[in-house]
Amino acid sequence: MKSTKYIRVLRELFSLRMHGLMVFRLDFFAPFLVDGSLFVIQLLAFGAVYSHVDRIGSWGKGEMILYIGTFSLLNALSMTICFFGVNSIPYKVRSGELDLYLSKPISPLFRLTFENISPGSLPLVIMSVCIIGYGAATARTALTPKTLGAYVFWVAVMGILYYEMEVLMRSVSLYIVSMARMEQLEEACINLCMKLPGIAFHGIYKVIFYCILPYGIMATLPVQSMIGEMNWRTAACGMGVVILFSGITATVWRRGLRHYNSASS
Amino acid sequence: MDQIIRINNLTKKYRRYRKKEGLAGSIASLWKREYEEKTAVDHMDLSVAEGELIGLIGPNGAGKTTLVKMLTGIIAPTEGSIEVLGYYPNDLKNEFKKQYAVVMGQKSQLFFELTVNDTLRLFKEIYEIPEEKFQADKNYFAELFGVRELLDVQVRTLSLGERMKMELMVSLIHDPRILFLDEPTIGLDAVAARQIRRFLKEVNEQKGTTIVLTSHYMEDIKALCKRTVVVNHGVKIYDGLTDELFDRYQKNKKLIATFADPVGELTLAVPGAVLLENGPYKKVYEVPKQSARELLAGLMEYEPKDIVVEEEEIGAVVERVYQEGSDGFAQIS
Repeated sequence: MKSTKYIRVLRELFSLRMHGLMVFRLDFFAPFLVDGSLFVIQLLAFGAVYSHVDRIGSWGKGEMILYIGTFSLLNALSMTICFFGVNSIPYKVRSGELDLYLSKPISPLFRLTFENISPGSLPLVIMSVCIIGYGAATARTALTPKTLGAYVFWVAVMGILYYEMEVLMRSVSLYIVSMARMEQLEEACINLCMKLPGIAFHGIYKVIFYCILPYGIMATLPVQSMIGEMNWRTAACGMGVVILFSGITATVWRRGLRHYNSASS
Repeated sequence: MDQIIRINNLTKKYRRYRKKEGLAGSIASLWKREYEEKTAVDHMDLSVAEGELIGLIGPNGAGKTTLVKMLTGIIAPTEGSIEVLGYYPNDLKNEFKKQYAVVMGQKSQLFFELTVNDTLRLFKEIYEIPEEKFQADKNYFAELFGVRELLDVQVRTLSLGERMKMELMVSLIHDPRILFLDEPTIGLDAVAARQIRRFLKEVNEQKGTTIVLTSHYMEDIKALCKRTVVVNHGVKIYDGLTDELFDRYQKNKKLIATFADPVGELTLAVPGAVLLENGPYKKVYEVPKQSARELLAGLMEYEPKDIVVEEEEIGAVVERVYQEGSDGFAQIS
């Protein structure tokens, strides 16, 4: 019953979003062009960096392309499904608009997450899949149903982690008024980890980017699962991090709502 | 009748940051922050029976909106007990949220770029309203508010009055037991405000919806509420019959006369009348209610272009209640 309700609301939110985007034609078509251009610029930057680097650890060029494609896919999926909704949380907290979400009989986070779906980012998903295909071919990875299934599973799990980090960073706004630095921190981590796979981190950096700001594992684990480099220890560690961050995000969000003081009207 | 809202000793305190003037103050605040506590609602007791239409009045910053936010669970109280429809509101239970609606005059729940029908469809799913009931209620409110032809129009093109009718419509579509209204007539012209009041009265009478209305417009309260609670600095200073409140504490009226040609001093010997503004084209008087008729007759002799009679503003009434006390005010139970 509950899940049916959420599916119906999701369908309605999607439909409203599409109606909203189609009101202004430029708003509807521009993201396809803008996001696509930004993506190409990013790829050119990666190309420039990795044209002179043959190996990082045990990974060659093919694995690196696979890695970049996977990180881009996670980023593109987030942009398509939830980023613009989650990103509006700090504004809604500051302006007091969150009041209207809290007073409706549906999870405020669910509504915030899915009310700004961005179909304009879909081409990025397709481009990312192309890069992944090219990377797999370059790395001469033997694609079996098992490796593909494992890869899809880890992309889904890391997609959840990516989403949790987005929510966690923005939930800070429920406790403190100004949180611009948190968004900068997120941006810096994504920029760094998009270029450097988790296997490049050692010592304290590995602790930071695997356990504290776990952007380092987000694309690394799916790639490792595809190229047959993942062992049980890594898998358990990855799942542990996701479960840990699920708990932290849920707690911070729920406690944040109790802490919410609304804005003076 | 059943009490569906019960609050006891309810208090909400906010902490706010204070900073000394200038750059030195800003630098000092980096190391040592000074906070002060503001009590928005102070040990308030209140109970509301099912089906009541109760007015909450008070000047800006009195604590009305904070009280509504606590009653709807949007914010948590600092201390005291609160029970609405048998729930602790800040538990934010969906079963509780399905039974009330809140309309905030300054925050819209409509999608501006879309139509009201679009918002209604979303609310239908959120509140899990069966299609048949949804259509019946939509038709009922569209007729009541006279907005049938506006349901397919982009919200941003609606006037403020039309938009408020739509806000009410989307709030009432799930048949809530309690409707919280925070300044619903703010910014509306007299005609639109009167229409909104008429609709609210009808919803209260026809559907039995309990309405908690905050406003600082006297007209809203006078026209709608049998019972009024006056709040000042977070403290309840009056809780009783609206008629009694105004008979006892609204002592003056304001008469504003405008003239086509300049006039000098007016010789009007009306007891208690005070000239507040004395321009060549405009005279503003404050006069005790019982002498208003006499002053009006006197002003008419000078052939004014227009005369407006205004109720005494809410601040003056609240101040008077506060100064004179309300003799322990009548507690309605």
